[in-house]
Amino acid sequence: MAPRSRLSQTQAAWLLLAPFLATYALFLVYPFCRGIWISLHDWNLLAVAFNPDAKEFVGLRNYERVMWGKNITWSLFNAPLLQGLGLLALVLSALLHRLGRLSRLNAIVFGVVSLLLVFFPGFYPDEGGRWYDRRFWPTVANTLVFVAFTVPGVTISALLLAAALNRETRAMGILRTLFFLSQVLSVTVVTLIWQIMFSPRQGLIANITKTFGGTPINWLTDQQFAMAAIVIATIWWSIGIAMILFLAGLQDISKDIYEAAALDNARGWKAFWYITLPNLTRTISVVVILQIILHFQVFGQSHLMTQGGPNDSTQVLVRYIYQTGFRDSELGRASAMAVFLFLIMGSFSIIQFIIGRERD
Amino acid sequence: MKYVLLGAAMAAGIATTAPAQDITLGRFFGACEDAGTDTTTSTGEACIIQSIINAADAELDGINITTLPTDWGNYYDQVKAAYAGGTPPDVHVMHRHRVPEFAGLGAIAEISGDLAAAGIDPSDWSPAALDAVSFKGGIYGVPMDFHANLWHVNMDLMAQAGLVADGKPVLPTSPQELLAHAQQFKDATGQDYLAADFAQFPLGVRTVLALLWQQDANIFTEDGTATINTPEAQNAVTAITQLFDAKLANPQLNYADSQQAFLNGEAGILVNGTWVVDFYTAEAAKEEVGLNTYYVADFPTLFAKGATWADSHMWAIPASLKGEQRAAALKVMAFINDHNIDWARTGHMSVRTSVVESAAYQGLPHRDEYTGTAAIARDTPPSERYGAIQDVLNRELQAIWLTDKPVSDALADAEIEVQDLLDR
Repeated sequence: MAPRSRLSQTQAAWLLLAPFLATYALFLVYPFCRGIWISLHDWNLLAVAFNPDAKEFVGLRNYERVMWGKNITWSLFNAPLLQGLGLLALVLSALLHRLGRLSRLNAIVFGVVSLLLVFFPGFYPDEGGRWYDRRFWPTVANTLVFVAFTVPGVTISALLLAAALNRETRAMGILRTLFFLSQVLSVTVVTLIWQIMFSPRQGLIANITKTFGGTPINWLTDQQFAMAAIVIATIWWSIGIAMILFLAGLQDISKDIYEAAALDNARGWKAFWYITLPNLTRTISVVVILQIILHFQVFGQSHLMTQGGPNDSTQVLVRYIYQTGFRDSELGRASAMAVFLFLIMGSFSIIQFIIGRERD
Repeated sequence: MKYVLLGAAMAAGIATTAPAQDITLGRFFGACEDAGTDTTTSTGEACIIQSIINAADAELDGINITTLPTDWGNYYDQVKAAYAGGTPPDVHVMHRHRVPEFAGLGAIAEISGDLAAAGIDPSDWSPAALDAVSFKGGIYGVPMDFHANLWHVNMDLMAQAGLVADGKPVLPTSPQELLAHAQQFKDATGQDYLAADFAQFPLGVRTVLALLWQQDANIFTEDGTATINTPEAQNAVTAITQLFDAKLANPQLNYADSQQAFLNGEAGILVNGTWVVDFYTAEAAKEEVGLNTYYVADFPTLFAKGATWADSHMWAIPASLKGEQRAAALKVMAFINDHNIDWARTGHMSVRTSVVESAAYQGLPHRDEYTGTAAIARDTPPSERYGAIQDVLNRELQAIWLTDKPVSDALADAEIEVQDLLDR
């Protein structure tokens, strides 16, 4: 007879989990709750450091001051393009669900996202009104634009690269390492490299442009190109990890399927479209969601390459939080913005969770 | 004799093993790896200040100085975070415009009672320098310089454009003349008349502010009312934008690119501060650099009276610093104060009367060319929100020249936002 364990299975589980839970609580849960607590106060970074009583409880006023305004109204026609797109997506998700092309849960997710697209851009300050913080929503929009370009950019280029490099030769091994190399650099190094690349005087891009008789573009100070410059640098930087994930996914696809497909004359592009992609959907959704969560937190590229400019066109949410918290010492307001960012990223995590569960 | 020597050696050993005061020092100005300890030969802000710090570390008995790694753009954020975390540097540099914020909260120490003991004589500071470090009747730092915006001039190009008389550049006296000179310059040389970082670093803001002050106007009043959407501000902005509109200057160059354009001989005038005078002097002496004959001019008066943007660098210590640590930190500040003439080599204006009157100071390269600057130095009224206000102005002015936002819209928006900041 085996000796009786003195701990029940549940007790043992808790015991083994305890170190993680304690660390998690101390370094994640507590700071998070404190962040929410600070966001409910008028809290000056320096003043409170010297006099803990210098803070004042203001309830939700920081949220109001950041996100709301005077005489704010709603209309379906405030941003016809975005709201129209949202409506179209709403109808489409209902239609696709009806036709059985979209599962109920996915239809709900897409429906909710479309609804938000109809809802949020509809707010605007009416006659004599104004947003209390005129920079917040444009900053959120910039962040969304950044994410909207970077995530597909990274995903598509990483996928194509992975498909091209998924061969067991020495050259491919070297190329894989080379493409992954950018990932290990820190943001300061990456932005320095790209600042030099984009420089209209000594940059590689400018020199190539000049060779072909063109006028070099001032990438980082031209409103039309500044965001593109940041997106390009980011794609170059973060392509490595996505590529590795795709390579792992690709190697999971059985060779038999490709052989069977080859008998049916499906090779190259056809095989990629009908075999590789359907078998990779799960990896693709993981990569996309991870990238979305990661790139909402963009900071260094905007801070170091363009300083949010020109005219705030590359100002992103984390940089605004940083400026509000440290340059302006307004920790309460900064925390309110951080809570907003958390909600965005949290909702994408939930979407990932839902999609993941449904496939299981 | 042997015992004497042994005794001396032991005494020396005891003296050197006495506990040294470790002083942490925070500064901007950039990094200089091999500054050495010779304060008289280093060039450029970073190397001159680091050579002074290295010399202090070597020469001050019982004091070890560690220069903390900090970054220009985020310096105040780092210092504030350090104060908030209770670990500020023992000595740190700052601008006069930050005094209301740091002294107002009690972060930096009032040191009027410590100066004499440390060997610092405040009566040698010029009245403006004393004013720079004063707050509500107390002294909160040791001033190091006045720095201001200058016009750095390529004399060869100006001569080519016929804009030199008596060995001096002929500079405009009105916005109309500015445009005329710029056109004349472009026609003669094919180059841009004026360059500056209008795209990132707030040199465009400082230029517009100077033109505003020249009309006896300001961006906000002492009692906290924003006054930006005014005819004076319109005049100041259009004095600059007329050059962009006529393609006589490029608003898209950042700091490095505008400086390179000037050094390459692709711009007649560079608007930049006093901090680069020695650097440009050194560059102009090089064979391979396009700039050959370099001249430094006071910011010209385009409106009623002279004015140029100016500020001061100063050194401060945390209020929490006490005892021997405080005494050691003050000694470091005294050492820097003693080397004011070395710092002035950068091109900055000295804060010490004895230095200003010295032959060594007056003999510094180009020094006699911008003697008028001290009299026209100006800055905005003191505000705890200086950084944020500069940022608003920089953004809206960039919007005008980089994105074609109408001047009146940008000024109206800037006024609302600055008022918001002043009201917070």
